[in-house]
Amino acid sequence: MATRNRTLVYRKYRDALKSVRAPTSSSASSSGAGGGPVIELVSTSLLNPNRNYAPLSTEDPVCTEKSDASSRGALTVGLPPAWVDLSEEVAANVQRARVKMAELTKAHAKALMPSFGDGKEDQRLIESLTQEITNLIRKSEKRLQRLSAAGPSEDSNVRKNVQSVALLSGAFSIIQVIPKSSANRSLATDLQTLSMDLRKKQSTYLKRLRQQTEGQDGDDLEMNLNGSTSRMDGDDLDDMMFNERQMAKIKKNEAFTAEREREIQQASEDLFVVVESVNELAQIMKDLSVLVIDQGTIVDRIDYNIQNVASTVDEGLKQLQKKEGRGRGVMIHWGMDAPEPV
Amino acid sequence: MVLVTAVRDYLSRMLQDISGMKVLILDSHTVSIVSVAYSQSELLQKEVFLVELVDSISKSRESMSHLKAVYFLAPTSENIQFLRRHLVSPRFGEYHLFFSNILKDTQIHILADSDEHEVVQQLQEFYADFVATDPYHFTLNMPSNHMYMLPAVVDHSNLQRLCDRVVDGIAAVFLALKRRPVIRYQRTSDIAKRIAQETAKLMYQQESGLFDFRRTEISPLLLVIDRRDDPVTPLLNQWTYQAMVHELIGIQDNKVDLRNIGKFPKDQEEVVLSSEQDAFFKKNMYENFGDIGMNIKQLVDEFQQISKCNQNIQTIEDMAKFVDNYPEYRKMHGNVSKHVALVTEMSKLVEERKLMVVSQTEQELACNGGQVAAFEAVTNLLNNESVSDIDRLRLVMLYALRYEKESPVQLMQLFNKLSSKSPKYKPGLVQFLLKQAGVDKRTGDLYGNRDFLNIARNMARGLKGVENVYTQHQPLLFQTMESITKGRLRDVDYPFVGNHFQQGRPQEVVIFIVGGTTYEESRCVALQNAMNTGIRFILGGSVILNSKRFLKDLEEAQRIALRTEGKTYPINLEAKIYSSSHTLPPRRTGEKNHFFC
Repeated sequence: MATRNRTLVYRKYRDALKSVRAPTSSSASSSGAGGGPVIELVSTSLLNPNRNYAPLSTEDPVCTEKSDASSRGALTVGLPPAWVDLSEEVAANVQRARVKMAELTKAHAKALMPSFGDGKEDQRLIESLTQEITNLIRKSEKRLQRLSAAGPSEDSNVRKNVQSVALLSGAFSIIQVIPKSSANRSLATDLQTLSMDLRKKQSTYLKRLRQQTEGQDGDDLEMNLNGSTSRMDGDDLDDMMFNERQMAKIKKNEAFTAEREREIQQASEDLFVVVESVNELAQIMKDLSVLVIDQGTIVDRIDYNIQNVASTVDEGLKQLQKKEGRGRGVMIHWGMDAPEPV
Repeated sequence: MVLVTAVRDYLSRMLQDISGMKVLILDSHTVSIVSVAYSQSELLQKEVFLVELVDSISKSRESMSHLKAVYFLAPTSENIQFLRRHLVSPRFGEYHLFFSNILKDTQIHILADSDEHEVVQQLQEFYADFVATDPYHFTLNMPSNHMYMLPAVVDHSNLQRLCDRVVDGIAAVFLALKRRPVIRYQRTSDIAKRIAQETAKLMYQQESGLFDFRRTEISPLLLVIDRRDDPVTPLLNQWTYQAMVHELIGIQDNKVDLRNIGKFPKDQEEVVLSSEQDAFFKKNMYENFGDIGMNIKQLVDEFQQISKCNQNIQTIEDMAKFVDNYPEYRKMHGNVSKHVALVTEMSKLVEERKLMVVSQTEQELACNGGQVAAFEAVTNLLNNESVSDIDRLRLVMLYALRYEKESPVQLMQLFNKLSSKSPKYKPGLVQFLLKQAGVDKRTGDLYGNRDFLNIARNMARGLKGVENVYTQHQPLLFQTMESITKGRLRDVDYPFVGNHFQQGRPQEVVIFIVGGTTYEESRCVALQNAMNTGIRFILGGSVILNSKRFLKDLEEAQRIALRTEGKTYPINLEAKIYSSSHTLPPRRTGEKNHFFC
């Protein structure tokens, strides 16, 4: 596919026109100004102990200072707003959960391999990993909900956008004031895929575990039978010792059975724990699925969303205007009547 | 895949090299182009968190300097003005400008002048200037399409604008495909000739550097033809899924708006019909109505099976399985209800308008059948009260196109009956159509009765019998494509532009119909491509027509033509009257009569 880059031509024109416009232009060149303001912003914010991430607007004193000082300089790079922290946290959690998932797969594989020692350690590890992942997902979900709840001034449509993105990509950078909902939606999708992954892994692990325990029992029983029959075919000469040996064998069998029973019980306990976590995940999944975009539907169309933004912005404006009107009413009545609840 | 892929590639390239959070700014034109090729979720994956229109953005004053702005606009003067304003007071940190077609140097100057803050990082031309509705079908969504029916003298500037837009759109298609074609046009159409010549000038002279691609053995072919050479296809009622939805309800940019035809739940008011995203639609878009019904029933049955399984949740495992499958289940549910809703609506309309009967006659008029029987059938339908006005009009038009010369008296009778039965009918519309697209104006052999070979072919087809009465019509385009495939497209009818020439068959052909394409024709092209004859056809037009749109264009053109005629009419009449009787023209009050001072 052919393209044509007109940037060079454009830059040529721009430079020529710039020199024509202001030949005595000061050192407000783009590169210099770009470095300065960022540093200064950071230092001022450090000095201010109660720093609050205000949404970037013209009210921000730092910004206006900069824009006055370097009237022709480059734009200052603003600080991202507060809820970006939340999104970042969710993203970090999602990432951590991913890593843990990888570990979990390894642990599952290890536990399922036939081993000489007690499989209990592996089970413990798996349990703890599963628990951690579920916790991470639950924490992320709570953060996600806070993201949606915060900020009456933000555009809800954009909020949805952010959510869906985070979910689809999994790792993402700073998220904007306006596009907050975009990040939210994407985060939700990510969590959902993670949870599904986790549950799939759990179910396969459960299946294999069950197969194994049954298989082990089956094997042991077989062995026992064979053992006993072989013994049975043994010498007839040692009749006296026979009973003792039989007793010993029976005792051993009993011990075997008891141990098998214990293992089965342990396995079923594990199963129970796993099943519980499955239930928890199911609950999270249900909540999350509400946030996800369906692909191929009208909601996934760019032109549909643009129309919606336009209408919701208009409505938001109307609401704001209504509130403003009411607010003014309260101020007027102050001192004369009880203030009306807004 | 070709056209859709091209647009997607352009968009991906635009977005991938820019890291961080982005906002995508489009205009009303590029919104359609982007929406059919890219979905919102895909945009979000590329970290585009906001999409805005360039004209609405100025209302908001919020500054978001850690967003990078990606503009994708058409290079019109309005957009340049908007962009100027944005650059003078920038809201975003970086500006990356992409235009959908060739920029003029003056426009670059204007932008460079306004970029005082030097926020523009790049300025590129990415030639995604067409709406790729299907893999081998594109449209330009032109608003004043009807201009093509009028001669240049009527409205010179608007016609020039139409030609420019068409030339730019065609150029963009070839730039996206990285090809430079040999150009042919339909001899009898002035506008086709004009567009062909201007395209040739652009590709071979004005921007020959841009179009200078690696030469292949055989150049592709661009064939520019006129809608009026086949006026029958847009008038017919359709019975294959995609074409039928467009004919009865209307598809715009692969979206169907159901709000006007009935009450629907909120999430079903507008639906998407895209072969890329909907596997069921992709399989059934070219199937006829009966088969669609069966396939939908099958789909519903499958879905019911799955729902039943889902309802039977006993154990925890079942629950887990249910939650696992829930997203897919929901998607399937949405898809099934969409198709069921569409087919239900269409069945209702077919029933209301008695389209089974009407369409049978239409097909006879378009394909075969004798004149007497046709006249009778049309008369009966005109007398039938349940036939709607638009269907009556279409029947008379189809009859007139077919039997224009055969029996003028009967034709006159039909005109009169039409006027009396349909009060809203604008008199003279059918005659206007005949003037535009009558047998004298057409190049192609629309009814297969011009040369001996075609007559024989028709007879053979009639004897063989038809699979389905309602889909027996084949658009003229089919014959054109066949001729190209056999290397037998006549130079007399479709000459080359200038000194272009091509020996042998091309391997890629782009056919552009000035005045608009139809979904029946795009179906024809898709089926032809599926036959793998070694030639790949792409179809494009200024709009995608259905009978309503075609009739609207006719009415608009007629209105303008009458208005123009009206301006010149009284003067001519006066001259005629007074010159023959040698009396002086009457003196107009308040005006100096130079001749008789």
